[in-house]
Amino acid sequence: MNNLTKFLVMTSFLVLAGCENALVVKGNFPTPMIDKIPHKVGVYYEPEFRNYVYKEDSKDRSKWTIDTGEAQMAVLGKVLPRMFTEVVNLSAVPGEAQSQNVDLIFSPRIDEFQYAMPRETKINVYEIWIKYNMRVYNSQGQLLADWLMTAYGKTPTAFMKSKEDAVNEAAVMALRDMGANLSLRFASIPEIKAWLADHQTHATAQTDSVPQQGEANVQ
Amino acid sequence: MFNSRLLTPVVILAATLLNACTSVTIDEYRQGASHLSDGDAIVLLGRRHSSDYETEPELVSCIGGILEGGTKAINVIGEREFLDSLYPWFEPRTAPMSMKRLDQMSERIEFANALDRYNISYIIWVDGNTETTSSSGSIGCSIGAGGAGCFGFGTWDKESDYEATIWDYKNREILGIVSAGATGTSYMPALVVPIPLIARVQANACKGMGAQLKTFLDPSSAGVAAQ
Repeated sequence: MNNLTKFLVMTSFLVLAGCENALVVKGNFPTPMIDKIPHKVGVYYEPEFRNYVYKEDSKDRSKWTIDTGEAQMAVLGKVLPRMFTEVVNLSAVPGEAQSQNVDLIFSPRIDEFQYAMPRETKINVYEIWIKYNMRVYNSQGQLLADWLMTAYGKTPTAFMKSKEDAVNEAAVMALRDMGANLSLRFASIPEIKAWLADHQTHATAQTDSVPQQGEANVQ
Repeated sequence: MFNSRLLTPVVILAATLLNACTSVTIDEYRQGASHLSDGDAIVLLGRRHSSDYETEPELVSCIGGILEGGTKAINVIGEREFLDSLYPWFEPRTAPMSMKRLDQMSERIEFANALDRYNISYIIWVDGNTETTSSSGSIGCSIGAGGAGCFGFGTWDKESDYEATIWDYKNREILGIVSAGATGTSYMPALVVPIPLIARVQANACKGMGAQLKTFLDPSSAGVAAQ
């Protein structure tokens, strides 16, 4: 095999490798400026949520692998301690969490993940869309509220910006959107609103006597 | 083979054409007088609620750079810093679309305190984008044992359309609107090596918008901004 053939073979491998993109979403997420709900909440993350990786399996699209597990844990790690007076991580399914002595149990799940590239949509933006299934249980592990929440992020194409950077930025925007949506809408979900109204007096009495120490409990 | 002596006049001619192919139009609508004291700050934020385009962060930062520069510098808070400090109130789906909504948000003590800490006088919303409106021509490249090269000619038109709405945060009123439109044609002749001659449409829209905003916010800087 002469040098030119070697060069062409190696170039072909590089071009083919370029069709597969693997991305671990990285970003810095801010702490939200919101009012605390005066309750102690337990959070249960399923392993599928904690380690969520989206793999594109369509033959018609480039092979993207997008890992959002760590990044979405980082967002919730910033948002939840600001939403509640105390947050504890649970390692068991909500039904077995009674002994944790929490008021509510929160457990998120991803139902669907989609992305779109500029050449597919004909607009100069990269888009990420995530459909979350948010579930809240009472302290006995009974399902209290179960709702779908979409998170959307997009970023414009830019000169000299790689596809990976653009998709990462769109994913970070989607995760920020999830954090914003969760922190601002949580208390207005009808079932939760009703539960909070029922437990208002109890919680007020508790927060008067218990110091707020929630922020150190979530990693 | 290609005569390299021919390249220089071709490049100069193309560069001359490049300058001739960008035009910028600026409009201003003013509803009240602006006033910036020492220590007052402004923040420029891109509107990102539309589903089919996104105001480019680099455009927002470019305009901010113009306002911050020169002898009559204005204190501009960085967009990302502001969005992070006020999270989640200025995200694409939660940002106030009207002065009334901003007023409601300001009733939250923590929110109002954050804006007061920055000493924000004006919030400027920049909305718009730059897009390629048409393109034509073709360039073919080939690689062989004897070398590689490209031949052909490509051209494309870009259009920028931006509008900046100035909100007077202290008086809770819309002070005015500055709009900037720019169009330009880029060329890519390829004679062995492609030579991109890019019309800096977005950069020119930024310059025009930045200079106009500077005189809008501080009329005494009119001469300085024009330089």
